[in-house]
Amino acid sequence: MQLKIKDIYKSFSNTRVLHGISFSINKGKALGFLGRNGAGKTTVIRILMGLFDADSGEIMLNEIPFKVSEHSIGYLPEERGLYPKQKVIEQLIYFGKLKGMNKESAKDSSIYWLEKLGVLEYRDKKLDTLSKGNQQKVQIAQTLLGDPDIIVLDEPFSGLDPVNSQILKDIINELIQEEKMVIFSSHQMSYVEEFCEEIVLIDKGDIVLTGNLNEIKKLYGKNRITLSSVNLNVVELQDSLYKLSNINIIEVKKDYIIIQLLTGYTKSQLLIDLIEQNIDIKQFSVYEPSLTDIFVEMVGDNI
Amino acid sequence: MKNLGTVFKFEFFTILNKKAFKVSTIILSLIIIIALTIPSIANVVGKPLFDKENGEIKSEVTEEKIKYGITIKDKSINLSDLKEEMKENELVAVKSVEELKEKVLSNEIEAGFLIKSPLKYNYIVKDTSISKSNNELFESVLLKLYREKSIENKGINYEQVEEIYNKSIDSEIQILGKDGIKNYFYTYIFIIGLYLIVLFYGQMIATSVASEKSNRSMEILVTSTSTRSLIFGKVFAGALAGLTQFITILLVALLTYKLNLKAWNNTIDFLFDVPINVLVTFSLFGTLGYLLFLFIYSVVGALVSRTEDISSSSMPVMILFMVGFFISIIGLNNPDTILMKVASFFPFTSFMAMFARVSMGSVPKVQIIVSFIVLLITTIATGVLSSRIYRLGTLMYGNPIKISRAFKMLRNK
Repeated sequence: MQLKIKDIYKSFSNTRVLHGISFSINKGKALGFLGRNGAGKTTVIRILMGLFDADSGEIMLNEIPFKVSEHSIGYLPEERGLYPKQKVIEQLIYFGKLKGMNKESAKDSSIYWLEKLGVLEYRDKKLDTLSKGNQQKVQIAQTLLGDPDIIVLDEPFSGLDPVNSQILKDIINELIQEEKMVIFSSHQMSYVEEFCEEIVLIDKGDIVLTGNLNEIKKLYGKNRITLSSVNLNVVELQDSLYKLSNINIIEVKKDYIIIQLLTGYTKSQLLIDLIEQNIDIKQFSVYEPSLTDIFVEMVGDNI
Repeated sequence: MKNLGTVFKFEFFTILNKKAFKVSTIILSLIIIIALTIPSIANVVGKPLFDKENGEIKSEVTEEKIKYGITIKDKSINLSDLKEEMKENELVAVKSVEELKEKVLSNEIEAGFLIKSPLKYNYIVKDTSISKSNNELFESVLLKLYREKSIENKGINYEQVEEIYNKSIDSEIQILGKDGIKNYFYTYIFIIGLYLIVLFYGQMIATSVASEKSNRSMEILVTSTSTRSLIFGKVFAGALAGLTQFITILLVALLTYKLNLKAWNNTIDFLFDVPINVLVTFSLFGTLGYLLFLFIYSVVGALVSRTEDISSSSMPVMILFMVGFFISIIGLNNPDTILMKVASFFPFTSFMAMFARVSMGSVPKVQIIVSFIVLLITTIATGVLSSRIYRLGTLMYGNPIKISRAFKMLRNK
């Protein structure tokens, strides 16, 4: 099962918000959809969910035009919303039935997810009597009702504390194990790093980076070294490094410096040069960028 | 529309479980029970409201003797004759006009009569008002005395003449068409009832749609099922809840009336004795019109994003509805005017106007059928349109959208 999004364009009142978005995802994989606020993440998700029509472009599932109503999809909208004055279990059964389940299976599924998320005790309470975090969990239960094959989560971690985030992380990992297709948007990079193999980074309606996360990291870490010293602090180390001509200083952190080797200059040569500079090396390693670093580097320059 | 039943059931029981629904049904039923039980209570207390024999409302007022001053300038008139004829009042002789005026002004007497001749008198009174016209009785007495005297002067027995004059004619009315007076009341009650449930449940539907927008559950709903199921399910549920309430109250009224039948002495039987064709017209036209307006109200709900905006945005709908209502209520008195005829075909007024015409006059069957078909098509079209507007309104937050803009957006789609 492969979901392909091809060349999506969308304008709102003559302002173009998406400029040809394309990406694809396979089952058993999670795709992290990243971008700053207002980048167009939610718009892409809403087009995918059929809430908006795209101006042009197409969405295909196994090479057939994708229609939300024909598939079992779990959707967690960015704007959370259920009925505040209805009992938790009653509205979950209702939403389950709307998804095409019968009453019994909707009830079983609701109870299963409420229990899994640790909110079963509130089943007969009205939703608005629950705390925000628990309401969020009920919303997640609603999303996962009926064992959907495709799960679309718009900012699933917002509003959850670390413990609840962990519960959700575990659930998403299980979903991936069960060969589901998980698409989720976030600006919390640490979560994306944990279970996304593929990422799509968009900025101002354009894709700026897409691909396998490990490869992206490798690419970004290529020819980059993390360096720190025992006898020099970062400022002194930086001064010493200025004397070397074959490197670029990428970033000075609190405890270390990230440098880039220019073409033809090897790690061994750098090591020799450093020792010649009388630098007592504390850390010398290949730089592994975090997703946050990549994110900031790609879209952060125009803050 | 496969989820229509699911939405309908959910929405219907949501309304039925609402406190407002339960409380309003109970309060209205109680008011009706109390009102219809009053005659029985009156019987128990010993002051029956309805006379056992003729069913007429008994006059409770016992009149006090009213005092009048009489000044006679014509010797042929005898005060004792007047007194004989006006036993319920106290007549006192007053010597002069001045004295008469004085007594009237000082409230010693209610009014004064200055009799100039058998056929001429002055009526002297302090204030006149609609309820106080005391000279009619006096005038008729004066006239009677004159006639009696004149007739007897001609040698004819006055009593015989009076007997001839007082003969009355027996008549019986056979109504082949509609009994306007009888029909007026229940038609009035039906139209008022329709008016109330449309306003009440219309607002409720609009609020329900708008709150789905404001609590953002709409986004899940429209991605789970078709908007047509959502809107039709919601409107049908609202409609049935309204009808349930209306019929509950009617049944309560009927039952209470039956229980108190003796005390009522069949006085308002006609209210419950509605001809079957009127009932059928009311059910068909009323239900469709009701659905039509609920659909319109659901559009109002979809176009606003806060429930606070509903009252201002539903103003045009309300005005349209009120126009139909007033035309029909006024038309009850004269159902055959051009205005009523036009209103009975225009779908937004026909459900009240056509019903009023059918129950108050005679309308050709063809006209009823044409009007019904127009109404039916309009209602379905409005339903379809409202689900499209609902879809459109899903993600439109902020200021209320004008209906003209919504149509423009639908066309552009």
